[in-house]
Amino acid sequence: MTEGITAAGPVAVRVQGLWKRFGQQVAVAGIDLELPAGRFIGLVGPNGAGKTTTLSMVTGLLRPDQGSVEVVGHDVWRDPVSVKARIGVLPEGLRLFERLSGGELLAYTGRLRGLPGPEVDRRAAQLFDVLDLAGARHKLVVDYSTGMRKKIGLAAALLHNPEVLFLDEPFEGVDPVSAQTIRGVLERYTASGATVVFSSHVMELVESLCDWVAVMAAGRIRVQGTLAEVRGEAPSLQQAFLQLVGASGRDAGSDLDWLGGGAGR
Amino acid sequence: MSVTAVVVRLKLSLLRNGLRQSGGRRAAYVASAVVALLFAALQLVGLIALRGHAHADALVVVLAAVLGLGWAVMPLFFPGGDETLDPTRLVMLPLRPRPLVRALLAASLVGIGPLFTLLLLTGSVIAVAHGTAAGVVAVLAVPAALLLCVALARAVAAANIRLLTSRRGRDLAVLSGLVIAVGAQVVNFGAQRLGSAGLGQLDPVADVLRWVPPGAAVGAVQSVSDGSYGAAAGQLLLCALASAALVVVWARSLERLMTAPDGSTLRAAEPSGRERRSARGWERLLPAGRTGTVMGRSLRYVWRDPKTKAAWVTSLAIGLIVPVFNAVQGTGTVYFACFAAGMLGIQMYNQFGQDTSAFWMVAMTISSSRDALVELRARALALLVITLPYATLVTVLTTALLGSWVRLPEVLGLSFALLGAMLATGAWTSARFPYSIPQEGHKNVAPGQAGLAWISIFGGMVSAALLCSPVIAVTIWLHAGADADAFGWLLLPGGAAYGAALTVLGLRLAAPRTAARLPEILAAVSKG
Repeated sequence: MTEGITAAGPVAVRVQGLWKRFGQQVAVAGIDLELPAGRFIGLVGPNGAGKTTTLSMVTGLLRPDQGSVEVVGHDVWRDPVSVKARIGVLPEGLRLFERLSGGELLAYTGRLRGLPGPEVDRRAAQLFDVLDLAGARHKLVVDYSTGMRKKIGLAAALLHNPEVLFLDEPFEGVDPVSAQTIRGVLERYTASGATVVFSSHVMELVESLCDWVAVMAAGRIRVQGTLAEVRGEAPSLQQAFLQLVGASGRDAGSDLDWLGGGAGR
Repeated sequence: MSVTAVVVRLKLSLLRNGLRQSGGRRAAYVASAVVALLFAALQLVGLIALRGHAHADALVVVLAAVLGLGWAVMPLFFPGGDETLDPTRLVMLPLRPRPLVRALLAASLVGIGPLFTLLLLTGSVIAVAHGTAAGVVAVLAVPAALLLCVALARAVAAANIRLLTSRRGRDLAVLSGLVIAVGAQVVNFGAQRLGSAGLGQLDPVADVLRWVPPGAAVGAVQSVSDGSYGAAAGQLLLCALASAALVVVWARSLERLMTAPDGSTLRAAEPSGRERRSARGWERLLPAGRTGTVMGRSLRYVWRDPKTKAAWVTSLAIGLIVPVFNAVQGTGTVYFACFAAGMLGIQMYNQFGQDTSAFWMVAMTISSSRDALVELRARALALLVITLPYATLVTVLTTALLGSWVRLPEVLGLSFALLGAMLATGAWTSARFPYSIPQEGHKNVAPGQAGLAWISIFGGMVSAALLCSPVIAVTIWLHAGADADAFGWLLLPGGAAYGAALTVLGLRLAAPRTAARLPEILAAVSKG
């Protein structure tokens, strides 16, 4: 069903038959994805749906048991040279080199990516300004707050101007002001034709940001398509999502009928 | 009720509450107190027995100085040890600085630590006090020295309280175990040396320390016993001045703490900013491209990451202590100098584990064996920047102490061969057997990975020794043929070339493995 929908434009990420098991637990159960280029793409699903596992495999940080991943036409595992130069990653649950200052971290990342030193410093200075981190440039990352860590991680992922950006829970634990800053940067970035793939379980956020959504639950893709297609008849993405993952039938009203009302005991 | 009485009672309650903890902790609390007091009592008896010994005066002066040092560093390593040491807890109370200083000083005198110190100081003055005048001075000197120790601890704690409650303080705590381990080595060697060479060894040190408070307090008693009253007066005056100065410094920082707003993270970040601006210079000396970038990061981590720093300081200290102390005692051979190269070579092991899960940032930029080779080579180079001069220095020092300059070239050659073998095996095991290093606490292996760590380090060290065997064989062969004096120098270029070749080979074998196993390495080092 996905072929017809995405035929409109070039494909940024193509995933076929991707599997990952951890012991007895199946984290990702044979998913197929075709994500169009130049879009703001949301990968949504409840906790434990396999979003992080999927993103780790797509970015080459985790080896799949089976299946293939192509990013802008290059196989992630067979052609890492082409892929790694074209993608930027902000993983969830992995550290940064925290004993460097923010400025040193960007200098290190950019030079490791093979960019010339003066160019790295120029871009880093701009990113610090735009992301509102200029005051923390000389502070060690270990002393950063959660929001600042997300922002410096984003800066490190953007530094080499990748074609596709993968962000795992970029808004988790981020205050509204920092979230707005991150949004602004990402919207500007996609407007220039680049692709952003990000995971989240906050539907309102995905609905307001994304024009393409893939819904994941229990290691499988339930549906993927434009926001309107995924939402369908439902009044909001939240409602559509709850129906898709089979959670909407459970009305809390019938249980816990003793709760509330102030009647005592 | 005066502030002093309240604070002293607070301290007593805190001590009593130590007994009210859960069974295991109470047992540990009581046991440590009993052990400390027994130890102090034994020392007291020992010191009294030393009375009249020719070098007793030197010993007690050094002892007092060590006690003072202990009091100075204690609050830095055990910041949670004494809650009344944290004046910011009293910040909300309407207290004037002067009564508060008096009260806190009095409270500091209550506890096992002060009692321990008191016993030792008492023993010290009994050991050296001869005559009535000396006895009178001793009665003055003991409280003076104790007060000085306590004021020192308080002044250090108050000056560093912002540091101690910040992230930097916790970093420092990671290093505390290491200081104790290295300190134990030094004490061990020192005691051996005193045992073999006699207490007379302490005399030159004591001559200086008897003029440094709190050693000066005990020194004053000795001076009176010797009849030099002028010197005694000077020493007591020094003690009094030092105590007064410490109390003033402490009161000042206390006042600042109580009136200034708390900004622990901001304050702690300031000096690091300065440190970094001045650090720009040495970076320019590094080569361009990935090599220099990786070297810069590795060298920064040696200094900034508490775990890496602890591992390095241990290696540097033990690599120096074993050959040099043995040489000083006249028991070692010049070949012990290879210890430095061996200990420092260990730092090449588990390179990616030292990165923790931040290794993903490296993994994202390695897309070929070539990238992996440059990455590993740069890490080896960063290590050599420190190790090569250090191993050379230790070897020269050991040779000088033993006076066997003839052996210097061959020992250097052996050191370089060993270093090369360690780098080669280190690079290979980094790629093949990576494991996580937990960032919190004193553990260096994540649960379930102890086997991996064993294979990595011990397998690697045995392989390194085997790889070195040709050079060792040549050394033995030269000595057997009695040609060592004529041809021994050939081992220097030979060993260096052999070590370099091993390193290059090891890196070349490790690089494709690293590039092919990036996800597996990342998974292995992300468990901490």
